[in-house]
Amino acid sequence: MLHDRLVDALGADAVKTAPEDLRAYAFDAYTEGQLPSAVVLPASTREVSAVVKIARDCGEPIVPRGAGTGLCGGAVPVAGGIVISFARMNRVLAYEPQRRRARVQPGLINLELSRASARDGLFYAPDPSSQRISTIGGNIATNAGGPHCLSYGTTINHVLALEVVDDRGEVFTTDIDRPGYDLTAAFVGSEGTLGLVTAAWVRLMRAPEAVRVWLATFADVDSASDAVSAIIAAGIVPTALEMMDAIATRAVETAFQAGYPTDAGAVLLIEHAGLDDDMNAYESDIARIAREHGANSWRAARTQAERDALWAGRKGAAGAMGRLAPNYYLQDVCVRRSVLPQALHAVERIAREYRLTVANVFHAGDGNLHPLICYDKRDKRQVAAVIESGNEILRMAVDLGGTVSGEHGIGFEKRDAMTAIYTTQDLAAMARVREVFDPQRAFNPEKIFPAGVRCAEVLPVA
Amino acid sequence: MTVETIAELLATCTRARRAVVVRGGDTLRGMGLPPAPHATVLSTLELNEVVEDAPEDLTIAVQSGVTLRTLATRLAKHGTHVPFDAPRAADATVGGTLAAGWLGPRRHVYGRPRDFVIGSIAVLADGSTVHAGGMVVKNVSGYDMSRLYVGSFGTLAVLVQVNLKTIAAPPAVRMFHLRLPEGTRDRALAQFAFLPVAPSAAFWIAGYHGTVDGEEGDEGRLSVFLEGSESVLQRATRDLRSAMGRAGVPDTRIVDAGARESFERIVDAYTVSLGERSITYRMALFPDEVLAHVDACKALAERFDLRTDAIVDAINGDLLFRVSELDAHAFGAKIEMFDDALHDLEPRAIIVAGNHPHRASLNVWGEPPDGLERMRELKARFDPAGILNPGRFVAGL
Repeated sequence: MLHDRLVDALGADAVKTAPEDLRAYAFDAYTEGQLPSAVVLPASTREVSAVVKIARDCGEPIVPRGAGTGLCGGAVPVAGGIVISFARMNRVLAYEPQRRRARVQPGLINLELSRASARDGLFYAPDPSSQRISTIGGNIATNAGGPHCLSYGTTINHVLALEVVDDRGEVFTTDIDRPGYDLTAAFVGSEGTLGLVTAAWVRLMRAPEAVRVWLATFADVDSASDAVSAIIAAGIVPTALEMMDAIATRAVETAFQAGYPTDAGAVLLIEHAGLDDDMNAYESDIARIAREHGANSWRAARTQAERDALWAGRKGAAGAMGRLAPNYYLQDVCVRRSVLPQALHAVERIAREYRLTVANVFHAGDGNLHPLICYDKRDKRQVAAVIESGNEILRMAVDLGGTVSGEHGIGFEKRDAMTAIYTTQDLAAMARVREVFDPQRAFNPEKIFPAGVRCAEVLPVA
Repeated sequence: MTVETIAELLATCTRARRAVVVRGGDTLRGMGLPPAPHATVLSTLELNEVVEDAPEDLTIAVQSGVTLRTLATRLAKHGTHVPFDAPRAADATVGGTLAAGWLGPRRHVYGRPRDFVIGSIAVLADGSTVHAGGMVVKNVSGYDMSRLYVGSFGTLAVLVQVNLKTIAAPPAVRMFHLRLPEGTRDRALAQFAFLPVAPSAAFWIAGYHGTVDGEEGDEGRLSVFLEGSESVLQRATRDLRSAMGRAGVPDTRIVDAGARESFERIVDAYTVSLGERSITYRMALFPDEVLAHVDACKALAERFDLRTDAIVDAINGDLLFRVSELDAHAFGAKIEMFDDALHDLEPRAIIVAGNHPHRASLNVWGEPPDGLERMRELKARFDPAGILNPGRFVAGL
């Protein structure tokens, strides 16, 4: 019945219900969820509307899905339902280079937008490491960041307007330039729990005149993180300020031969984009601070090829860890930038206590840590240790005044951690928003909000 | 008023269904519909503490009644700033500026005020105090409640604290004032899209004599604000001069000492009114269309025999358009008809300044936004008794 109605609305080739076809949609980059009842691949907003109406009639929840690169179980079904894949809604609908904006479908791959606008000297700034495969719709759902959001801001700073299909299958639009409530801000980062984004106007930025990339090496993570804190404290915010520890650097070099030194305790990858005139002064300021905090070496990437190789290595770092262990778990927390040294100390201590190998490769300039815990999932001791140590890293971040996710989102994985940073009243305020857009909790159920907490319980009686 | 007394007041007013007017520095009183008569005034001005100044993190947490000037002075000690670009910084509060969703001319360089907000504390209509975000610069943990309160015109919650990220202030600034001779305006404004060093702000101004600096030419005047290092300013100066030369604009007056104040006078002018004999409209357009719109608005005002002043933000495409009369009575006789005609031409024009006594009969917010039904449901959820700024915001929110 569900199958037939979906096929009537979308055509047979856009509906999958055979278990072997559904299996791939039970996973994201974090975990395996349940098999959905069906997977649909709509090609238009109208078809998305139709699916929502059918799901509503049949009492099926909806799980929206981009490329499935999420790291917290946000796109996996945990209560059955219909997975809506946006893979076929992947076009640029309008491109206005003179107005520096584009209207895109949610399934468009992030990097393709920058590629398409490069001929006009423009680019789309949010650049999660997954940008070769992750979609703009998925990026909107998690308010995705990336190395360059240090100065350009996360996805929310680059979304101008949205087209949304709501829980009744009706279409409405949001626009940050219109008076009224900022529904764009409510939807960006809402992890598909409020409605389905079917199109977005996004901002394109003018490509910088000059880009420089520098590499500073340190004896250990301590001195490198001291340097990062000092750079920020001096008011210097480069375009990107990334750190890799020795384990990460070696894995990256083995995999990519990207040009990182393999004998350093930690490296900082620093990029600044801007005007030619400022670059030398900028470099001398930042290099001086690095040296004052123990940098052993400082070098500039001389060519575009050298820069690209360093960035390819950095963005491929998580994948390179496959060489260290059969499995890895990637944690994502954010702390104040002044406590980066303490936070990294704590990560090191936790790794030692649980006898785990932890690599650090992260957005240091934002205070956004990504401890990458290596393990073998066939070893039960290790699996338990990974879970415990991951939780301990979360607690550490919260104790340091930080948050439980800098950019990957809450999803299914971290929903119980929400109570560590928010009170019941704080969560109740969010639940009020959920109640308005999704009273039946049909959109991506069991995500973001702590398990066992239903709206009625957190919502004060009006 | 403390946060606790605000919470008690709101809870009481919700029980009694009594209207509350939320007020900061009252500098944007020209925005929105008039407050309900006999409403209780909730002033945030006593919430004037810097809660936590963390220059080493490039963040600061302030109570919502802190003025923009106080904040700027505090941050200047660290060499940082948060570019709100709102009028009357000495009186305007951080909370009020955010609640009004104010957008200034430098947002194309630095981002919107909302994008500096990393956390907040707000009091809801039922008296509950809620936190959102924190003091970290990246945070994806549930819905972005802070940004929802920003721009809600005080109708969803009362902001009592905001946590902001800060950025390094530019080391040097420079202002240019250029008189535009006959036939140069369009060519001069078209240059900004191609300048290698984007100015922080570029305005075409007609009128506003005595309010802003610079002398008016046959086709108005340009004021261009540059920020950056000394070497960047030198290069940008050369580029700007040659671009203006190509557009046929001869003389360039450079102001270095007092450049920032000159820029602030232009921002202040956005809401400078002539009391009961002027209304200022604001329109969000694109740079490539804004001049055609200002000409159309001017032609319309001429038909009504109204005087006009205009500021065009040439980079963001904002148009500020003030119509006035010498006499308040004469102005009152025609403004309602003009307002209708203007909204036929520009359905999205909103009113940002002017003290017209029959304000309620003007189309203050322009055409209502899409998604209005859901906004109404949000309002009902957050403020079920409808006590927060009732009747003032768009479409009755």
